Amino acid sequence: MQFQSQAVAKPYFIAAIGLFVGQILFGLIMGYQYVVGDFLFPAIPFNVARMVHTNLLIVWLLFGFMGAAYYMIPEETETELFSPKLALLMFWIFLVAGALTIVGYLMVPYATLASMTGNDILPTMGREFLEQPLITKVGIVIVALAFLFNISMTVLKGRKTSISLVMLLGLWGLAVFFLFSFYNPSNLVLDKYFWWWTVHLWVEGVWELILGAMLAFVLIKVTGVDREVIEKWLYIIIAMTLITGIIGTGHHYFWIGTPEYWQWFGSVFSALEPIPFFMMTVFAFNMVNRRRREHPNKAATLWALGTGVMAFLGAGVWGFLHTLAPVNFFTHGTQVTAAHGHMAFYGAYVMVNLAMISYAMPMLRGRTANSGPAQTMEMWSFWLMTVSIVFITLFLTAAGILQVWLQRMGSTPLGFMAAQDQIMIFYWLREITGFVFLLGLVLYIWSFFCKKGEAQTAA
Amino acid sequence: MINNTRTSHEIHATPPGDLAIWFFIFAELLAFGVFFVAYAFARAHNVELFNESQQHLNRLSGAINTLVLITSSYFMVRAVAAIKQGYSILCARWIASAIGLGFVFLAIKMAEFHEKFSAGISLSTNTFYMFYLSLTLFHFMHVILGMVILAAIMLKARNGSYSPANHTGVETGASYWHMVDLLWIILFPLVYVIR
Amino acid sequence: MDTPHEPHFIRPCTRIWLVLMALTCSTFAIGETGWSGTAVMLTVLGTAVIKVEMVANYFMGLRRTRWLWRGIVLGWLILVSGLITIAYLMTVK
Repeated sequence: MQFQSQAVAKPYFIAAIGLFVGQILFGLIMGYQYVVGDFLFPAIPFNVARMVHTNLLIVWLLFGFMGAAYYMIPEETETELFSPKLALLMFWIFLVAGALTIVGYLMVPYATLASMTGNDILPTMGREFLEQPLITKVGIVIVALAFLFNISMTVLKGRKTSISLVMLLGLWGLAVFFLFSFYNPSNLVLDKYFWWWTVHLWVEGVWELILGAMLAFVLIKVTGVDREVIEKWLYIIIAMTLITGIIGTGHHYFWIGTPEYWQWFGSVFSALEPIPFFMMTVFAFNMVNRRRREHPNKAATLWALGTGVMAFLGAGVWGFLHTLAPVNFFTHGTQVTAAHGHMAFYGAYVMVNLAMISYAMPMLRGRTANSGPAQTMEMWSFWLMTVSIVFITLFLTAAGILQVWLQRMGSTPLGFMAAQDQIMIFYWLREITGFVFLLGLVLYIWSFFCKKGEAQTAA
Repeated sequence: MINNTRTSHEIHATPPGDLAIWFFIFAELLAFGVFFVAYAFARAHNVELFNESQQHLNRLSGAINTLVLITSSYFMVRAVAAIKQGYSILCARWIASAIGLGFVFLAIKMAEFHEKFSAGISLSTNTFYMFYLSLTLFHFMHVILGMVILAAIMLKARNGSYSPANHTGVETGASYWHMVDLLWIILFPLVYVIR
Repeated sequence: MDTPHEPHFIRPCTRIWLVLMALTCSTFAIGETGWSGTAVMLTVLGTAVIKVEMVANYFMGLRRTRWLWRGIVLGWLILVSGLITIAYLMTVK
């Protein structure tokens, strides 16, 4: 750790991993509810479990991004953080607000929560991923603004690198597009239309900039390759990301009542979205092959390479599978979407956060890398989580294809629930694989407490 | 920093300019390629509509724009030649003329768009116009991007930042600009002429 | 060090430029006649293919690079123009 203020990243990373565990637990509850419908009913109904599962995912990724920014930016700008105190204050506000929101989801019925939190004043709730009560949304904006102020001021007073500028652009974009969560027109088409401006333009737009910057940072650190080379690739990748991702929003506008040309725009541009992910993979492997030093943190390198491959598979290949309008006509809203969602989120955003935590956490604890046995354990966790997410994706894809076939094609299509009964086996397999994933996650956390072997200390 | 001297007839390992721009160029070719093919197949389902609507395009302005872009592209060849001989100012002037023709292209194109928009034509008019407008608008954006790149290179050339030994930047910008030209060479016959 | 003579590629490129201009005029002329049919379509598309190759090999300088790079552009061109041709021939029964 080169700068004292980088230490504020530590609580963010710890909170991120803690919430990640919560997300997986609720995922397992939901996965079980898929097969045993009344499990935990009426305490935790399916819709609540789903809301907690997805909201925790988003919140922990945000914690990870913020922690990453607090860790990277001082090192990139070669200056202390503008205000470490503000960063810590925002951490506690965000954590408490997040926890209260989850408690709210679990303790009171959603409608009661809505009326308790002023949803009548400005209705913003009830939309997938943006279920947060109004006060939480306002809180997120305040935290985000304070965070951006802190980071931007740091960049302004320090060295300006491409990585910090791309990171900043991504983070500002994240905040700006979140503002569309406050816009909730009563026309259902317009509502959905702008809802995607937050949801899609986050994950297939500005978050990719954050991902690119974080990956580039870790790669520079572990490979020692010239900054110039890495930055050039970073620019090409983000240019492609923005060209394809922004107009690619159209792949959500196929069937919601928007003009027909979106079927063409959405199909053509989102079909090209794998390209930047493919370039990212090539980029990551290329940099590692051209490395100029042998960094002792092998685990972080593995996570960085894994990010490239899994993001390409999950976001690129699995996205392409159902992005063309004629295919999507049959597949939208089926388990194919769920398959894509799981592998894309894990491959792109979970893995890049884990790569960053894997690289930064030992540094924050005063060592260059964890001990050999600890790293071996972490690599096991990498393979357990990655392989199980691959299988979860494959099971859900199989379930999705079967679902499309039974429910939407053929001469005597089945009803939704009848089709679900036919694919139950895949839900069982998915649930079992989910426990393997949890095992991997436990191992990941355990590896940080592994006492065996000598940790590599900074020279 | 490879291939700086290309005055000999040798075969080079990589194309002129920065290799990264070539990955970008290939990605762009792929994007337009998908769009061109989509156009052709959409037409196959609707030949009469496409042939009828195509009649209303301004073929003359499309052809003039082709000549403009080709000439502009040729000017960039001259700009690269100039910097290889060490003439920075001459290089900057060739780039400036290439950019100037870029403006001519944009002006003609905007007149064409104005004509269509004032006739009440939009993306939703029919499938042909959807393709005509989106293909030409998408290309239009690329012309603007190309001009921005060329302008940056022109300023650097004027400051004497390039030399016969170091002019990858000029070749990088020229390669991108040739691609913009290349795409229009297909777009024009495909959308304006072939029926 | 470079010689002060003009680079060898200028003259071929000037000739290519003139040919490109002439081919553009021919495509425009065909458009003005209003002819249609497979032969006309193949002529116009063929002209475009030749023009693209000229730009790629001469203006972009790919003829002085390894075949890999020329091959990528040529492969793309064959694929795109081939699919366009197939789409057009589908309508001529």
